[in-house]
Amino acid sequence: MDVIHIAGLTKDYGNNKGIFDLSFSLRQGEAVGFLGPNGAGKTTTIRHLMGFLKPDHGTARVLGMDCFKNASSVQDKIGYLPGETAFMDNMTGDEFIQFMAGMKDIKDLGYARELTAYFDIDTRVKIKKMSKGMKQKIGLIVAFMQNAPVLILDEPTTGLDPLMQNKFVDLIKREKDSGKTILMSSHIFEEIENTCDRVVMIREGRIVADEAINMIRDNMCKHCEIIFDNTEDAVSFQKLHLDNCSRQENAVCLLSKGDVNVLISQLSRYRIKDINIRSQSLEEVFLKYYGGGRS
Amino acid sequence: MSLPLLKIELRSNYKIVLLFFAVITLYGGVITGMYDPELEAGINMLVKSMPQIFSAFGMENPGTTLIDFLINYLYGFILVLIPFIYTILMCYKLVAKYIDKGSMAYLLNTHYTRTQIIRTQFVVLLTGLFLLVLYAAGLIAVCSRIMHGESLEIERFLFLNFGLLILELFLASLCFMFSCIFNELKFSVGLGAGLGLVFFLLQMLAQAGDGAAFLKYLTPLTLFNPERVVEYRADSIICLGVLATGAVLFLAVGILVFKKKDLSL
Repeated sequence: MDVIHIAGLTKDYGNNKGIFDLSFSLRQGEAVGFLGPNGAGKTTTIRHLMGFLKPDHGTARVLGMDCFKNASSVQDKIGYLPGETAFMDNMTGDEFIQFMAGMKDIKDLGYARELTAYFDIDTRVKIKKMSKGMKQKIGLIVAFMQNAPVLILDEPTTGLDPLMQNKFVDLIKREKDSGKTILMSSHIFEEIENTCDRVVMIREGRIVADEAINMIRDNMCKHCEIIFDNTEDAVSFQKLHLDNCSRQENAVCLLSKGDVNVLISQLSRYRIKDINIRSQSLEEVFLKYYGGGRS
Repeated sequence: MSLPLLKIELRSNYKIVLLFFAVITLYGGVITGMYDPELEAGINMLVKSMPQIFSAFGMENPGTTLIDFLINYLYGFILVLIPFIYTILMCYKLVAKYIDKGSMAYLLNTHYTRTQIIRTQFVVLLTGLFLLVLYAAGLIAVCSRIMHGESLEIERFLFLNFGLLILELFLASLCFMFSCIFNELKFSVGLGAGLGLVFFLLQMLAQAGDGAAFLKYLTPLTLFNPERVVEYRADSIICLGVLATGAVLFLAVGILVFKKKDLSL
């Protein structure tokens, strides 16, 4: 059974804003990255899953329950990190965690304490006085502490420093191994790349891609930056790769997907000043879905 | 109802109630102390010299007994207004702010339903309101006992406060309903506060001049008529019934809309 199941979900805010006919699902134990530029509809989709919004058409289900009609039962099963961190004022981090534990009927605060130590945060500080990163940590603790079977995280690493982002990635891996179903929205591709099995891409409210990370990895090209000795050589090399190549004077940028040996034998005919080859990042792969920038 | 939420709200809001206690102490204490049957004649003279100003604040009829005096100076305006300000403040703190800032998401990310959460918030509002009226009644009764012996007719006085509580309930439900219906602050708080202030203004205008007397039919504040309430007049009790019915209706509408509406959290 799908843990999260979205079918034909539509919420039209007019002006082509909203989400339109979204369908995707997550099986148990799956971690899926939900990617898209700002305003694409990620948060709107998540709000439907949380039962905050009522769909115009279509359904959103979690563990077989309708997210709007059975909102409280659904919400009980989800560890949720909102995209905007807004807590109760005038509480210390600790008071807020304890309050939320009370609200969620969590008797054992052991895991919450473990997480507090893991994220290395002083929870005695008033939330009002906390930095964005600290607040984000509190949000993460509250989302994870109930050991909910489903985790929905809206841009979980905003405000976290690189060290904490790595810790977060480790935590997600651990949670995934323990069988949690995780949906997290992001526009940081690395955290998705390292943690998720699958990526759902959304743009202007519509799904543009739903692919396994491995598929995308296989599709990834090598990004070669070759600096030729002279511009003529660069021009003549460029003619061999007209459709995936750009040139500036004697420097050529090539996106190569084919056999490396072919490229090497081609290059051996020229005098090369410098060469720089790296894997294309997920970001660059997704640019083709975003439409903007290079194709 | 959510007990953890109730606890935390009571704990974080009791200071506001205490603040309002202080304001009530100030007005209630001073005005109760001012009552002096002998001086009534003098005050009556003052009222006659500028009747409109006094009557705008519901003080056109200083009366002769202590309870008339209290109705005139406290229950016509001040003691109606003070709990109403508390209501506006609390509608913001208990509902509007949670929706506006998005922290409602945390309250809902639990096994509690929207209805349970919003009912809890209303109970908090109600508790404060009840305490304010109870405190005002207690304070005035005690002050009267100390300063003026047994001149206050306790039973009538308590019924007067019961009437005031019903009126405040009505206003609170109205404001609460708007906080439940709207997501934007200017409507969720603005409508309740604005409408309430219009009611007060209309009442003042209606009392100030004969020409504007018809305005009293445009404000629900007219339904609480303290002079007639203390005499247990049937019509005034029916009016209280209308206010109570309105309160229940507003609350029901508010909760119903809140249950179904889209929340951008």
